[in-house]
Amino acid sequence: MSHWIVTTLKATSVSHFMTGSMWAWPLCETLHFVGLALLIGVVGMLDLRLLGRLRHLSYAAVHSLIPWGILGFVINLVTGVLFFVGAPDQYLDNVAWWYKLAFLAIAGLNVLYFETTQARRALAIGPGDDTPRAFKVIGAISVLSWFMVLYWGRMLPFIGTAF
Amino acid sequence: MTDFFAALENLPFSIWLRESNSIWAYPTMLTLHTIGLALLVGASAALDLKVLGWGQAIALTDLRPMFRWMWIGFWVNALSGVVLLAADATTKAAAPMFLIKLGLIAVGVVIMAAQRRAVFAPAAAITRSARVLAAASLTVWFVAIAAGRLMAYPGLFFGL
Repeated sequence: MSHWIVTTLKATSVSHFMTGSMWAWPLCETLHFVGLALLIGVVGMLDLRLLGRLRHLSYAAVHSLIPWGILGFVINLVTGVLFFVGAPDQYLDNVAWWYKLAFLAIAGLNVLYFETTQARRALAIGPGDDTPRAFKVIGAISVLSWFMVLYWGRMLPFIGTAF
Repeated sequence: MTDFFAALENLPFSIWLRESNSIWAYPTMLTLHTIGLALLVGASAALDLKVLGWGQAIALTDLRPMFRWMWIGFWVNALSGVVLLAADATTKAAAPMFLIKLGLIAVGVVIMAAQRRAVFAPAAAITRSARVLAAASLTVWFVAIAAGRLMAYPGLFFGL
């Protein structure tokens, strides 16, 4: 693909660094996987609580781990952007990447909806409390969409041709 | 030992894994390996961060169910890992990075078992040694991830 986005990004020094340095890509891959583990660990615990599991924990207790989930997300956002700037064509031409982005959007909107409209109700969930059905639905959407993000990300080199 | 890995690599199943273009062969095994990683290291990191003082409101005993997820992740990765090894056993078994990764996993599992004993003890308290274990656990798993990831770039280390 020789879209202007591709030519513009590929002309940047960041792009040259990502593809030219022997270290840059492997290092970012490693960080991307560490970030993934942090994100799935924290989000997974939160989702389990929303689904009514880990019931002896209050929602607020699990919520206190969120900064680490955000750290994982930021690590992956930064390294992900670096991959994209490094080789934009291998992602734009790759159907797996678009699926990954779509599920990322679903996961993001789900979090946004939950945190903006349900946060206060959620923080009232104490140890031993069951969760309302709406929370279970949100928890299920969250866990499924994050695992789909992981799945399509892992499929990038196989369905498309990303390295 | 080399004969064993060569035999493993030449099993019909291993050849299929390596040479099939099916999405259900190598790609699916690699995806399962990543999901297992997320469960094992994710659950483990959550526990470690709590022990290291994050999430004060969480009682240590409340984290007992996390061990189930760690072990599920571990077994998903042990099984998918054996399958991935079978696909090119002679190359992987001779790769220093693979042996480093296996060593780190062994240390990680020993730490995990020690943490499990501490968390399931009648009076689960966060002692100094519990904090040391948690810091070691975080470090070992993250370095194991790095070693696994860097297996894809054999030229980067050891001049292979």
